[in-house]
Amino acid sequence: MGSGIWSTDVYDAADRYRRSTGRSAFSYSDSGARTVHPALDPRDATRECRDSDEHPRSTPVAVLFDVTGSMGKVPRVLQSKLPQLLGLLQRQGYASDPQIMFGAIGDATCDRVPLQVGQFESDNRMDDDLGRIVLEGGGGGQMTESYELAMYFMARHTVTDSWDKRGRRGYLFIIGDELAYPQVKAREVAGLIGDDLSEDLPLRQVVDEVTRRWDTYYLLPAGSHYAGNATVLDFWRDLLGQNAVVLDDLDAVCETIALTIGLGEQAIDLDEGLRDLDRAGSGATGTVSKALARLGRGRRAEVSTLPAFRDTAGGVTRL
Amino acid sequence: MRHVAVVDLGYGDAGKGTVVDWLCATRPVHTVVRFNGGAQAAHNVVLRDGRHHTFAQFGAGTFHPGVRTHLSQHMVVDPLALAAEADHLATVGVPDALDRLTVDGDALLATPYHRAANRAREIARGADRHGSCGLGVGETVQYGLAHPGDAPRVADCHHPALLRRRLTTVRDRLTAELGPLEAPPVEDCLPAFTGFADRVAIVDGSWLAGALRTGTCVFEGAQGVLLDEWHGFHPYTTWSTTTFANVDSLLAEAGRPGDVTRIGVLRVVTTRHGHGPLVTEDPSLPFTDRHNATNPWQGRFRFGHFDAVAHRYALAAAGGVDGLALTHLDLAGPDLRICRRYDTTDRLTPGPPGDLDRQAAITARLLRSRPVYDEPPADWAEAVRAELGTPVVLTSHGPTADDKIPHGPLLAPPALVRSA
Repeated sequence: MGSGIWSTDVYDAADRYRRSTGRSAFSYSDSGARTVHPALDPRDATRECRDSDEHPRSTPVAVLFDVTGSMGKVPRVLQSKLPQLLGLLQRQGYASDPQIMFGAIGDATCDRVPLQVGQFESDNRMDDDLGRIVLEGGGGGQMTESYELAMYFMARHTVTDSWDKRGRRGYLFIIGDELAYPQVKAREVAGLIGDDLSEDLPLRQVVDEVTRRWDTYYLLPAGSHYAGNATVLDFWRDLLGQNAVVLDDLDAVCETIALTIGLGEQAIDLDEGLRDLDRAGSGATGTVSKALARLGRGRRAEVSTLPAFRDTAGGVTRL
Repeated sequence: MRHVAVVDLGYGDAGKGTVVDWLCATRPVHTVVRFNGGAQAAHNVVLRDGRHHTFAQFGAGTFHPGVRTHLSQHMVVDPLALAAEADHLATVGVPDALDRLTVDGDALLATPYHRAANRAREIARGADRHGSCGLGVGETVQYGLAHPGDAPRVADCHHPALLRRRLTTVRDRLTAELGPLEAPPVEDCLPAFTGFADRVAIVDGSWLAGALRTGTCVFEGAQGVLLDEWHGFHPYTTWSTTTFANVDSLLAEAGRPGDVTRIGVLRVVTTRHGHGPLVTEDPSLPFTDRHNATNPWQGRFRFGHFDAVAHRYALAAAGGVDGLALTHLDLAGPDLRICRRYDTTDRLTPGPPGDLDRQAAITARLLRSRPVYDEPPADWAEAVRAELGTPVVLTSHGPTADDKIPHGPLLAPPALVRSA
């Protein structure tokens, strides 16, 4: 019971609210946490994407992004943008019953939290997982992060009805700006995930495994340290071919992912997708068309002209 | 997923805050849900490093990174006190409390006019004070019941014109009844309320259903069952349902009826802050409470021996619990005794909600009753278990989470792993 400990002065309160702007969406990280949140701990975990009465044909979508220092402000921007992804997919109808999982990638050689993986969710509860991600801000400085561990987890620790019942791959997006380590190290897997591997696995083998069940994309965004570095893009093009995509405006990340899925599901061709974006007043068409031009061409018989870039200043900036 | 509800089986101050903090320290908790009362709550949490915060509207799990607070529609929300509380949390190392807060748009809004009216009424009662905290929580509830169509609610803060109209109506009605009130002009109040709406996530009832699906939620009660609006000792009660009733209705609305472990909190020293019956009160008990100072609204903090009669009554009024948390065991000593019966009776029986005459009669009887004491028990947890017929599943031996000991599997910390 109490007695009115906190001030109830109207002038004071108005001032306090004015001053307390600039909320942090990475609340877990920003309140000082430096260990993986239990909800995102990959240890002994399996992430499932299951059908339900409400969502009978689930489409799994996993988005894992690099949270090390070289990414600069990118993780924070992603954190503020990604919650729109589900709504975008649902409204546009590009995929049936999308379920989204968020995760984060660090560097197992020097970071405290090298891998964080949330749950597949079909409502905005997935935002909570975004809020629980610890931002490393460190990284090793050798242009390499532990993407291979994330791919290992996706290959061996996920179960989807989409694959088991329908033989359909899910969508995996890795957003980062560095190289993967050449091997999945048995020691790191034992420590972080809990599997007992008899020997290290070559990166190529893990990529083969993960791409068998996951349509895997690497997005290299603007604003990160190594953006535009040919070494990084060449490395991922070598592993994933045209699925290594340069993204020159981070604000377009959700639209890029949504259209990629729409193309993959053959719900749209690139022109239709860009027209959808344009109609919805998205300012992202330029970025998306540039990013996905290769994908779109790869899937279409004819080459089309892109719709005009539309200036949406002051208008709606999302679908 | 089993959620946990924490309710005080006394007159408040038994240690709900420290129990909620311990729950959040020992398992992944998604959200602490407040389901009654308002800014007058004062749940003290002390950390091992000495940091301390008196939680009023924020959930007592807020020191734990990522744990959210949800103020449900049963709360009376005071955005003014909330801003000050958030500021204090920032000074003790929690800069993001407002970011982790959601508020139900249907919750009633406490305003400076309600507060001023509350104080005016309590002053007018003179020596017959009810022990109000002077924050207008009861006044707000009362006004909401009398004028459900135009009582200011949290969601109104998004609509300045509507809010202005409703604040003006509150002011005019209360002034007509009580005379001039000591409160600022409506125009001056608006920036505080709209600033609150700009800063805090205001949600609808479906938010809680999502949270309950996503992770473990802890329902944190305020005050105590012996102060309940219907089961407390009238008129020394609060305008609030302090039992599990609101928890039950929130869970039912979210489609998860009964999905909760019910914990009743008891303190080995039965205390009361404010006026009203406290049969076992003993001013010679050598206790002070550093978090409950004498204040002009409730007077001094009152201490008594463990009142098993009153707590048995609270347990029945609350409809039973799955386990008890017994706090302040570090205070148990040779001076502290247990009262199993009064000279007039050994059992109080709860009546149907709403019969305030009956409750007033119980109050009159309690004010005449004298406690009968037994010797201090050697094992307090066992004595309380035997007397209340309910297992003691947590004991607290000091202010911090480290000072808690779980007993049995009910609240045993689960492995900190959440697999899909």
